[in-house]
Amino acid sequence: MSVSSQKTTSRAIPATRRVTISDAAHMPHDYSTTPGGTLFSTTPGGTRIIYDRKFLLDCRSSPLARTPPCCLPDIPGVTSPAVPAAKSDSAHTQPALNNNHSQPAEKGAGEDAQFEMDI
Amino acid sequence: MNNKFDALKDDDSGDHDQDNVSPKDCEKEKSEDEEKDPNTAKKKTVVPGAGEHPLQYNYTFWYSRRTPGRPASSQSYEQNIKQIGSFASVEQFWRFYSHMIRPGDLTGHSDFHLFKEGIKPMWEDDANKSGGKWIIRLRKGLASRCWENLILAMLGEQFMVGEEICGAVVSVRFQEDIISIWNKTASDQATTARIRDTLRRVLNLPPNTIMEYKTHTDSIKAWEDFHGLVNASGGR
Repeated sequence: MSVSSQKTTSRAIPATRRVTISDAAHMPHDYSTTPGGTLFSTTPGGTRIIYDRKFLLDCRSSPLARTPPCCLPDIPGVTSPAVPAAKSDSAHTQPALNNNHSQPAEKGAGEDAQFEMDI
Repeated sequence: MNNKFDALKDDDSGDHDQDNVSPKDCEKEKSEDEEKDPNTAKKKTVVPGAGEHPLQYNYTFWYSRRTPGRPASSQSYEQNIKQIGSFASVEQFWRFYSHMIRPGDLTGHSDFHLFKEGIKPMWEDDANKSGGKWIIRLRKGLASRCWENLILAMLGEQFMVGEEICGAVVSVRFQEDIISIWNKTASDQATTARIRDTLRRVLNLPPNTIMEYKTHTDSIKAWEDFHGLVNASGGR
């Protein structure tokens, strides 16, 4: 009778486990754990807050991640539309950004190529 | 009215020796100092908001662009580099990232830098001066995806090299784009090898991609040789 009970099918030890998180609310509140369970008690170099790419990408859809940052500097072509020709039209598209004085400097954009050898 | 663009320039220039700044540049610095109020708020250390996912380190986004026709120097580099902002959590990162253009769409000779808060994206910074960087040259069209993969790996602590990572840079150039990741100790081969292996894994690069490690000491020397200057005042 004990013989039959000892007979178990062998399975590989699950080395990794992927847990799909569709919403930030599914995240554990305790940051000593990672989504899907604790993978490392310590990591090389000490305990670290580790996130994999997929988790970080999932956080992007959180409402907390979508509000514009405060104090975002206006750098035309970088943090706001480049507005190349729109200057002559009125600036209706970007009413909050009156940074017109720095515009002329941006115009020479296409001429940088000759400097590209300096890396 | 207050020029927002000027006011956001780096106001740390007082920390650096200004021996070889032209009089014109000095005037410029003064007028900026008077207007730097908006920057004082930025000096406060950012913290994760309620319900946000904290990062191991705070980071700062920077942007720089070569001004056409202006002589390149360490000074003008520092003046051309602008802080975009700092963040402490995953959500705060996305707020900035989602409001910034993708590097593949940048024009001209431009760079995005993402460095740990407190480390300037300059060879001379204390955290960088004994360091170096892995460089990967990319054909046009790959920069946006590679940059995103690189910085997500850095923010998520995928490199497993303790405190060694300083930051990452994407450089948009004429015929190619370059991404690089900077670390503190160029002589630490175990660390640099681990960074290289992690880069291969997270960037999903073709097997024949060439990766080059360059110490900042070599970069400085190459820069000085190229520009033919170590000038009389000892600056460059």
